[in-house]
Amino acid sequence: MTTALIGQLIEALRCLPGVGPKSAQRMAYHLLERDRPGARQLAAILSESAEKVGHCKRCRTLSEKELCDICASQKRNPQLLCVVESPIDVQAILQATDYQGLFFVLMGHISPLDGIGPEDIGLDELAKRLDEGEVNEVILATNPTVEGEATAHYIAEMVNRRKIKATRIAHGVPMGGELEFVNSSTLSHAFSGRQAL
Amino acid sequence: MNRQHPHKHISLQPSYILHTRPYRDSSLLLEIFCRDHGRIGLVARGARSSKPRFAGLLQPFIPILLSWHGQGELATLRSAEPGGPAPLLAGDRLYSAFYLNELLLRLLQRADPHTRLFDAYITVLSALAESKKEEESLRHFEQVLLQEIGYGLILDHDVETGEAIDTRLQYTYILDRGPVLWQKNTQQGIIIQGKTLQAIAANHYPDSETRRQAKHLMRSALAVHLGGRPLKSRELYRKQRFL
Ligand SMILES: [Zn+2]
Repeated sequence: MTTALIGQLIEALRCLPGVGPKSAQRMAYHLLERDRPGARQLAAILSESAEKVGHCKRCRTLSEKELCDICASQKRNPQLLCVVESPIDVQAILQATDYQGLFFVLMGHISPLDGIGPEDIGLDELAKRLDEGEVNEVILATNPTVEGEATAHYIAEMVNRRKIKATRIAHGVPMGGELEFVNSSTLSHAFSGRQAL
Repeated sequence: MNRQHPHKHISLQPSYILHTRPYRDSSLLLEIFCRDHGRIGLVARGARSSKPRFAGLLQPFIPILLSWHGQGELATLRSAEPGGPAPLLAGDRLYSAFYLNELLLRLLQRADPHTRLFDAYITVLSALAESKKEEESLRHFEQVLLQEIGYGLILDHDVETGEAIDTRLQYTYILDRGPVLWQKNTQQGIIIQGKTLQAIAANHYPDSETRRQAKHLMRSALAVHLGGRPLKSRELYRKQRFL
């Protein structure tokens, strides 16, 4: 049976992305029936994270330290700056590539129809960073959506105006995919971005 | 009048996405602009799940064929298929494309058909993609939009005298009335050449002066209906100049 407290737990779990009432109920009963230590640890870490994790003052990614590990590292190349939309994109790039430069995390993208403009994604900070003069290439790795493209274009203008090189990650047909199943805008981009062999 | 008939099944309707936003756990709320029914709100169930339905198709500026069923304000999307080649919009042209969508969202009522405007939308998107006749197509789109919402510009006669517009003369366009012959002490309205009024009507601009005046007139005419809230997409152009 569902008591008031269990009901609240189920409701609270539903704030997780993709978790509907059914999965939330399953999670709540699992934690209470089979994994009390897990539940206690989750609760403690969750509340500590919510309390202590803020943003790195240099790249804006999530971090409990003033400077995140990437920005603090002496081993990375400070001349390369990769601009992404979210902290999870940083992880994706670190795991999939051998990129050795630094990052700047927008925490969003420009979306005029949602009322999100350049001032809402930290571009003043990015401008300051570029004006320090150390960066000589900005890699624009925003998502291949229309909002991501508009954001990349806006930043590219900012970068070019400072006589710094701006590059955009290529997008096109996914590896292991088949042309037949690729959507039309992806294929259209892949075609226009074709390269000599 | 609600022209979105209850319980109706619509199939393979030529459409564009104007805007999407997350809805419930794994769905999207779509605002679409389609050929026969105008602006419609749809729910795309499962569009944000881990195995998203309609993958990659629910993006603005891509021609798609949508099928839906349902009643009332929000119908349910059943299928989405590609509706033709996707125009490639790069750089500033993307801002212009957002501008079109923002205008449609702000100015169109739901479920009013606007087939001429739909055609003008397709034309302007391809003009933007090909960087050909961009300004002409934008002005044409704005002009059709004003007509479709019932506030078309008067371009052929002086509203005071009833006389045909003379391309050699100068006029003042009074926004809620129309053009009147310019006089020295005129305070209100927008100063505009007769040849600009004719250029807008013919959708053919001989020089930069008529282009500039036409743009200014359209901006002012649209602003009346936007009710003081500026368009976000237009701010992008403005801000970009001060990076
Ligand atoms: Zn950092």
